[in-house]
Amino acid sequence: MALAQRSRNASLLAGGTLVGLVVLAALVSFGWTPHDPLRVEATDRLLGPTGRYVFGTDRFGRDVASQLLVGARSTLYVGVVAVGLAALVGTPLGILAGMSRRWLGEFVMRANDLVLAFPALLLAIMFGAVFGAGTLTAMIAIGIATVPSFARIARSGTLQVMSTEYVLAARAAGRSPAFIARRHVLPNIAGLVIVQCSVSFAIAVLAEAALSFLGFGTRPPTPSWGRMLQESQELLAVEPRLALIPGIAIALAVLGFNLLGDGLRDRFDPRLEAYR
Amino acid sequence: MRRKARCAAVLALLAVLSSCSAGSTATVSQDESTLSVGFTAEPENFDFTSTDGAAIPQALLYNVYESLVKVDARGRIKPLLAKSWTVSRDRTVYDFQLRPDATFSNGAKFTARDVKFSIERAKTDWTISLKSKMDVVDRVEVLGPTHARVVLSRPSNSWLFDMASRVGAMFSRTGVADLANKPVGTGPYVVADRRRGDSIVLPENPNYWGRKPAYRTVVLKYIADPTALNNALLSNEIDVISQITAPDSVPQFEADNRFRVIQGTTSGEVVLAYNNAKPPLDDVRVRRALTMAIDRKALLDTAWAGRGELIGSMVPPTDPWFEDLSGAYPHDPARAKRLLASAGKQNMSLRLRIANLPYAMSAAQVIESELSEIGVRVTIEPLDFPAVWLKEVFTDHDYDMSIVQHVEARDIVTFGDPDFYWGYHNPRVARLLEQADSGPPSRQAGTMRRVARQITADAAANWLFLFPNVIAAKTKVTGLVPNQVSESFDLTGVKPAR
Repeated sequence: MALAQRSRNASLLAGGTLVGLVVLAALVSFGWTPHDPLRVEATDRLLGPTGRYVFGTDRFGRDVASQLLVGARSTLYVGVVAVGLAALVGTPLGILAGMSRRWLGEFVMRANDLVLAFPALLLAIMFGAVFGAGTLTAMIAIGIATVPSFARIARSGTLQVMSTEYVLAARAAGRSPAFIARRHVLPNIAGLVIVQCSVSFAIAVLAEAALSFLGFGTRPPTPSWGRMLQESQELLAVEPRLALIPGIAIALAVLGFNLLGDGLRDRFDPRLEAYR
Repeated sequence: MRRKARCAAVLALLAVLSSCSAGSTATVSQDESTLSVGFTAEPENFDFTSTDGAAIPQALLYNVYESLVKVDARGRIKPLLAKSWTVSRDRTVYDFQLRPDATFSNGAKFTARDVKFSIERAKTDWTISLKSKMDVVDRVEVLGPTHARVVLSRPSNSWLFDMASRVGAMFSRTGVADLANKPVGTGPYVVADRRRGDSIVLPENPNYWGRKPAYRTVVLKYIADPTALNNALLSNEIDVISQITAPDSVPQFEADNRFRVIQGTTSGEVVLAYNNAKPPLDDVRVRRALTMAIDRKALLDTAWAGRGELIGSMVPPTDPWFEDLSGAYPHDPARAKRLLASAGKQNMSLRLRIANLPYAMSAAQVIESELSEIGVRVTIEPLDFPAVWLKEVFTDHDYDMSIVQHVEARDIVTFGDPDFYWGYHNPRVARLLEQADSGPPSRQAGTMRRVARQITADAAANWLFLFPNVIAAKTKVTGLVPNQVSESFDLTGVKPAR
């Protein structure tokens, strides 16, 4: 039990640390970066790591470390907006499906299944083609594609809460559905939603990187980890460092959000210990 | 959940590594008589009479279709289906003596009637804008099976040169029913098979009138991603990369003795287009300021690894009227700032709407950085090329600045058309272009130089660099044309090394 407790804390700690580093990098970049991340310096092109440039420079002579710091902003920005959108739309839908009569709940969930059947990346590429590629369309598309996961989680949580005695008592006392949802359902499923946020954040980070890599995400010259990967593609044989650095950043961020989600889940739902 | 976290980490690492394996690693076993050439842009169909773009003539011109004359690697006009020709003293009548032994791939004999049919068809049935190059033709007369006469409505110094491009391609009177799928020409190759999104197979034309091609079959392989294209050559899937569009990857081929890198020139000017018809770029001071704010040498070094040439105007060195005007606007941000101040345009925001192609994406980021130093905010908007770019920038003129490569030969004439997308209107330039075309040939080069100087003085556009023709090929392949000055990727001289 003590071992499980330590392991749970380790997930939370490791995830929290990695996510904290990404957040810190984004926050620091608002006030300071070693160099201007957008400044092109032809004479400093493709320099290796030195005292002046910690991670070297890219083919435009731009500082990779500065780009990495500012790129964390794009990653978090897309994640926060996409996951926020998904949580704000998906959670109420899930609660509605869980609390309402059978046909309405079924309708909401089947509509959810329809969205779920559509691959997120394909949806984002379609949005990019119709509304123009950019961070905003990427965020909205990723957000829409993530709505079903929140709706499902919220619905299953709501169904459990709705069968509890205190909810039955509230209903017997003539409390309105809105009151029950606000007072009893939402606080009881908040933990599930927060865990889902963390897991979805990891997916959003990967999706943003993939979209920027494909040219449907963050527009140049705004630094983005996915675009850094894309721009380094043709230099793999000459300067693999340029692909490895943003690649490792993406991997660590995704790992961080997943571990954080894992740790939070254990924290919010200790019953899971029984399944270990 | 823990397993999920591990899976996510593995997936993320795969995202990193995915860029390492962009290309196919399949090895195609080929015999010595087959050549496989890789391209990035695939033809939509085979009908260049109704479909714009460079990919169709690149594959078919001189290889499947032939014209009366062709342009060699130095930009000189050479006989092809015409053995010889004479021009009347007033330069309006061209008498062509045709090859008597040429036949189309459908078995029909090539005669002067096909010349009349092809030129008249360009005037009536073609739909692409290039058909206007035949507007100067008054009529075509058939004086015998191998004697065709073309009468122009006025003298034109450029018409014969244009006849070496796609508008001069010769079609069979019985072979135009399905041009999009079944091209019928007199060239050394025929189209046998097409796998959309993959390849076109060109076996030799058994009835070809000229020297038999060294390779009995040529496979044109289409791989859109530049890195995947490079990998295809490295993994033995293809023999030649027609044009490397990832310039930083060239050293890996130069350092490998299995390959040969050939660098030549093209007629493709990479242009930062200014919308001359719309404020604030309708003001010549603003255009000049922007032009001198950009360090083109640095741009070439960073955006295209220093490969290419600075030209300073819309004329490549293979044109007879080339003059190096790259020093016309030396890089001088301080002067640019003063010029903008004198025009009252210190705080400008401009939309840079570019084709989403590698050279444009790279150049745009350098331009954004350099213009920010003189206080000009630039928003880069990559547009899907060709569809969206052609519609919004080229047709609707909805842009402030744009970047695209103009590949057509001698396209400086577009500055004489006020309706062209750069909205440039200088009656003097239009007059000079008219004089250069219809005046005495001896004065053509001098007059064209004046046109080039004038558009440079007006900073009508910013000619960033001339696109290089960088070919990578296995050392066993020789005879590749280093300079891409015609519209064709000319396969006729390609042969195995002895």
